[in-house]
Amino acid sequence: MNAKVMACALLILGLFGGLVAMAQEVSPSPRRGQQTFMRVGCHLCHGTNGQGSGAGSALTPNTPSPEAIASFIRTAPGRMPAYPKEVLSDGEIADIVAFLRTVPPPPSVDSIRILRILGPRK
Amino acid sequence: MPLATESSTRKDQSGQLAAGPSSTAASVYGSDFMVDVMKSLDLEFVFCNPGSSILGLHESITVYGGNSRPELITCMHEESAAAMANGYYKAALKPAAIMCHGTIGMQHAAMNLYNAWCDRVPLIAIFGNIIDAADRAHARDWRQSAQDPAAMVRDFTKWDDQPMSLRAFGESMMRGWKIATTPPMEPVALVVNSPLQEMVVEDPNSLVVPRYSPSIPPQGDSGAVREAARLLVQADNPVIIADRLARTPNGMRLLVELAETLNAPVIDLGGRQNMPTTHYLYQTRQGGHLIAEADVILGLEVTDFWGEINQVNRADMTFSPRIRAGTKLITISLNDLYMKSNNQDFQRYAPVDISVAGDGETTLPALIEAVKAVLGDRRKRVLAQKADHFRKMHAASFEASRQLAANGWTASPVSTARMCMELYEQIKDEDWALVSVGASEMFVSQWPHRLWAFDEHYRYLGIAGAGGVGYGLPAAVGAALANKALGRFSVSIQCDGDFMYANGALWTAAHHRVPLLTVMHNNRAYAQETMLLQGTANRRRRGVDRSGIGTAIRNPDIDYAKLAEGMGVWSAGPIESPDDLAPALAEAVRVVKSGFPALVDVVTQMR
Repeated sequence: MNAKVMACALLILGLFGGLVAMAQEVSPSPRRGQQTFMRVGCHLCHGTNGQGSGAGSALTPNTPSPEAIASFIRTAPGRMPAYPKEVLSDGEIADIVAFLRTVPPPPSVDSIRILRILGPRK
Repeated sequence: MPLATESSTRKDQSGQLAAGPSSTAASVYGSDFMVDVMKSLDLEFVFCNPGSSILGLHESITVYGGNSRPELITCMHEESAAAMANGYYKAALKPAAIMCHGTIGMQHAAMNLYNAWCDRVPLIAIFGNIIDAADRAHARDWRQSAQDPAAMVRDFTKWDDQPMSLRAFGESMMRGWKIATTPPMEPVALVVNSPLQEMVVEDPNSLVVPRYSPSIPPQGDSGAVREAARLLVQADNPVIIADRLARTPNGMRLLVELAETLNAPVIDLGGRQNMPTTHYLYQTRQGGHLIAEADVILGLEVTDFWGEINQVNRADMTFSPRIRAGTKLITISLNDLYMKSNNQDFQRYAPVDISVAGDGETTLPALIEAVKAVLGDRRKRVLAQKADHFRKMHAASFEASRQLAANGWTASPVSTARMCMELYEQIKDEDWALVSVGASEMFVSQWPHRLWAFDEHYRYLGIAGAGGVGYGLPAAVGAALANKALGRFSVSIQCDGDFMYANGALWTAAHHRVPLLTVMHNNRAYAQETMLLQGTANRRRRGVDRSGIGTAIRNPDIDYAKLAEGMGVWSAGPIESPDDLAPALAEAVRVVKSGFPALVDVVTQMR
């Protein structure tokens, strides 16, 4: 009896664990996203926080959807290198978007004295 | 008129040139006369790394000439010497000389001579040589001499000579200076035979320094200029593109006058500071849109005009026009008057409607006059109505950059926007000049030109002409040396990869007390190449994980502040937290204002 109960409990636990693991695989992960963002070199042009630069557009605070990013970077017209699926999967793009959405919004321009006193230019 | 001859050259019993002072203190040497010639041109500096074939001139500059006008500036590498002369010219607007030893010094100098050549910068490159084999004492004299040394740099110098007498030297120096400084301005090379420097001049009074007579730069044909003016006045959307146009502050003033007369937007490619960034017709950031809408485009001293009116897909090398059909194209430049074959600086061929062969700055007064002559009152009123539109565009562009600069403001590594704006905050009340950003301002996302007020010609000196690294630091030192006398505060944004080519220039700055603030853009990588390598790897679908191999400057990280300190330069950093920037920069500014160089190492985002 005890053995049967134990076996059932293990089965349930195993199933639950598997479901959790599956959920972890499919759920976008900000932590994985940040690692991928750095590994595949997004930060080179877009900045470590996705803030953008002269070489790459800002990806934060208004982060595009994973689908919008995927549709752009698969062919990537212009200066940006194309990212085929072999290099960056749809799941990895979702992870990156999850990471970018955790980046705190930047301070407002007018809360930064150096930028506030500059302008706007007339 | 008798001149000193080679028979008067002092030699010892073995036939070698005698070392040390002359037989009598009153003797005058060939190199003394050479210094007289240099003084007559008011040559201020000779950037030099010492060597045996230039010792005569070296001694004459420092002793006979009193080491003043010209003053010898000690350089740790001939490449640095050439870059310093490059930067010096762009700040002082008069040439300097470099002095290098034989074939080896010449080859070291070559890269930054090439940068100067592509950048239309005049300088006088003096190379020592021992042309007569009978005068060569050691094996190294043979290795370091050549029959035709200037052949090594002939592809990127405008003219060269190897004068074999002092009279010829005087004429060659004058001719070289004149050729170098007549637009298109370029470096020239003079090979100076070592025995000629050592020659004892028997009758100094027989030597005459030739009078210098500068050439007037060539102006574009008046008929072509009138036709260009007619097209510009009739255009609905004329656009002006300027690159190495403003050779002097007057060039900027003239461009402003032309742009205002037409109310035409200016795209400033930044070869020089052509247009004040504060002016409402400075529309560089709207370039693509303006070019696409233009019906007449005027290119002023644009090297790659084709590249401005077309776009290239680097991946498959296809291109498409950026202009609409029927757009009239006008160029005014010296590109067709002077060019060399081997190096491909002439760029892709651009078919245009009016190609005026003339110096841009020199031709502008005639063009402005021609524009005003055909501009009736009615047309003036129409053009005047455009001003508001461009004022709004200019303000919107500035505001967009200001908003974007806030992104990543608190990031570590420090954002390039934060670094540039913290720096500007410290210098904006000085009479500042951004003397170098290395090979490209793109490396710092062009934040200075987005948000700083470049309202004077001298506030920006352009980049390395050929994009060759190893230019930024020494060019900044040369420019700062010029600015020291002009009372300007020199600042350089220094890329780390470029720094490591020629970091001995910091010692030169310390030794000669050159006030220069160097702010390290330390992204610990050859970032441009990392990006390009990544693109290549992606095209090949083989992953990008290894694009840091050969491009990252890590493991170990370089401590630039320690390097600077070791060369006697005040330093701070590495700074990783953006909040630590302001106090370090403020202290560095105080050091520079007291007359010394300073370096602040900032660990930055890639771009």
